[in-house]
This record gives sequence, structure tokens and C-alpha cells, in this order.
Amino acid sequence: METAATADTSPRIAILIPAFNEEAVVGQVVAAIRECVAYPVIVIDDASTDATRDIAKAAGATVIPLPDQLGAWGATQTGMRYALRHGFDMVLTMDADGQHEPRWLTALLAPILDGRTDVAIGTCTERGSTMRRIAWVLMKSTSGLRLEDVTSGFRAYNRAALVTLSQWQATLLDYQDIGVLLLLESRGLRIQDVSVTMRERQAGASRVFYSWLMVVHYMLHTLLLGFTKRPMRTSNGSDPNSGEASQ
Amino acid sequence: MIAWLTAVIGLCVAGTIILLMRRDHLHAKHGLEWILVAIAFAGAGLFPEFLDSVAGRLGVAYPPALALTISIALLVIKILLMDIERSRLETRYQRLVQRVGMLETDLLEGQQKEAKPPAS
Repeated sequence: METAATADTSPRIAILIPAFNEEAVVGQVVAAIRECVAYPVIVIDDASTDATRDIAKAAGATVIPLPDQLGAWGATQTGMRYALRHGFDMVLTMDADGQHEPRWLTALLAPILDGRTDVAIGTCTERGSTMRRIAWVLMKSTSGLRLEDVTSGFRAYNRAALVTLSQWQATLLDYQDIGVLLLLESRGLRIQDVSVTMRERQAGASRVFYSWLMVVHYMLHTLLLGFTKRPMRTSNGSDPNSGEASQ
Repeated sequence: MIAWLTAVIGLCVAGTIILLMRRDHLHAKHGLEWILVAIAFAGAGLFPEFLDSVAGRLGVAYPPALALTISIALLVIKILLMDIERSRLETRYQRLVQRVGMLETDLLEGQQKEAKPPAS
């Protein structure tokens, strides 16, 4: 128990990395983060069949081993629930494939620490392949979201966002993009884009953008979700979230 | 002949449901739904004049078409209810998997702390 006189008032921050069969790079990713910042790194091992778990642990991360595969979002939500249980106030999420550069972590946290937003999304529109750019346009037009990079997994969340995303409604989601963002907006939370650069994937392949069949399934699923969860317009025709989401 | 066949199918389904429940292969709440379906089948076969009467009142010229339409509608509702239940179970399962992962982490970290020799 902390006392009012001695309590440390600085927010407790953790970095969450969902990982599935990323033994080739997860150790380097964890080490690079630990060189940049002193926050605890939590790797959620999504039932990998390789040495991801051991390598992440050896690199200094806390590892949450999932007994069954839940997908990237299910693993990320596990990390969020764990962070809340252990008293963290904010989390940063990063991919385990080395695309996200730790040097942007501070920039991503800044708007949350300043109280300007509840969620910050590391945006890198230059990274998009043609397939991904078409997906972004369709997702944004059906969901009504005004954000730049809706599929980015490089994000920062404050405690209010963590509480929202730890609820069972978020467990029903399969991906961390449209459904998660619309759930946050529906609870009145502010979302902001933060421009970052990203590297090419260092190993493995995207779990979505690797085949046309998978992309079609993902797009139909996401577009239907975006359409059904799209926020209702107010009586004067304006979108209550448009002002703050487009920063 | 078709009426008798329908009645026999209904009675066979009812018998199978009872057998499955006796052997604990089917939960009672699901068994009740299927027993009602089986009774409806058997009723439609044993008392075809009832279906004819209802079809006549609704203006359906061919009574079996009414029976088929109602059957398909009920099947669609049943499948939808099953998917709703499945969504609920998937959510509960995923949260349980998450909880097991978190507890395992806590357990391992606790064991590691205990294993460390006390600082002198």
C-alpha cells in the first residue's frame, strides 16, 4: 500500500508486444526497446510453436504464455488486462516483427501525458502497399473514422482506454483496427494520429496481407463491422468525433 | 403415405432425443427444443387435416408448402440462436485463455522471486 506522502505520482507505463512465431526478431526488438526506454516490456506469446517465449524472456521481457492462439488482438487485450491488474496507467503496443522503431515511443506518449488525447496512433501512410491503401480508404469510408492509419499496431493508450478495451465487448473483436477504434470513439475517448516512420518487416509475414483470399475475408469482415458499428450522426448532421480525431 | 413417413420421422427423432439425453450426450435444455420439433413433425404426419385447415385459412393452396416454409423459418431462427450462443461461448473461452496466461505469468514470477536468495 502506498502512502500519500511518499507515493510516486509519475504514471506507470508498460510496453506490450503480441508475438506469434517471431523467434528470429523478438529478442532484438525487446533489446532495442530496453536500450531506448526503461519501461517494462511484456511479450504476449500467442501460442507460438517456436522459441519466441524463451528468447523474449532471455532478452528481459515479462512473458505471458497463452495456452491457445487468440490472434494479435486477443493477445494484445491479454496484455492490457494484465497491465490493469498490475496497476499500470498507460501502455504502448508494438509489433514483434521489428517494423516499429522504439525511438518514436516518447513521441507517441507525449500527447497522452499532456492530456491532449486518450489514444495515440503511430501513423506511417508511406508504408502502405496498393492493397493496404485500398483497404484504408474502404475502411474509413464505411466506418466514418477520420484517422490516417487505422491498421497501425503502434499505439499508446491511457488508463481510460485500457479499461474500455479490457471489457468483454472488445473480446468479441478479431482485429485491432476498425472495431477497436469505433469502440473507443463510442465511449467518448479521443484518438490522435502521430506521424512516425516505420521499417520494413524484418522477418515473417503479415497475418492478413499475405494472400488475396485472406485479404477479401478480412476486408468483408472489417467493412461489415465498420458499417454496423458506425457512429450515429447527431440531429444537425455533424459527427461528434470528427473534430478531435483528425488531428 | 407422405403423412405417415413424416409421423415416423417425428417419432424416430423424439426417440433419438430421449436416448441421447439418457446417455448424457445432450443437455436437457437443448433436448426440450428438439422434442418439440419432433412432436410437431409427428403431429403434422398423424393429423394432416390440421395443416390443411391452417393452410386453407391462410390462403395457401398447397399445404405442404406452408409446412416447409415454417420449417425453414424455424431452422434459420435456430441456427441464428446457435451462432449467438457460440459468440457468447467464444468470448468466455477467450477471456478464460487470457486469464490462464496471466495467472501462469504471475505464478512463474512468484516462484522466481521465492527462488532468489535473500539479499544479505
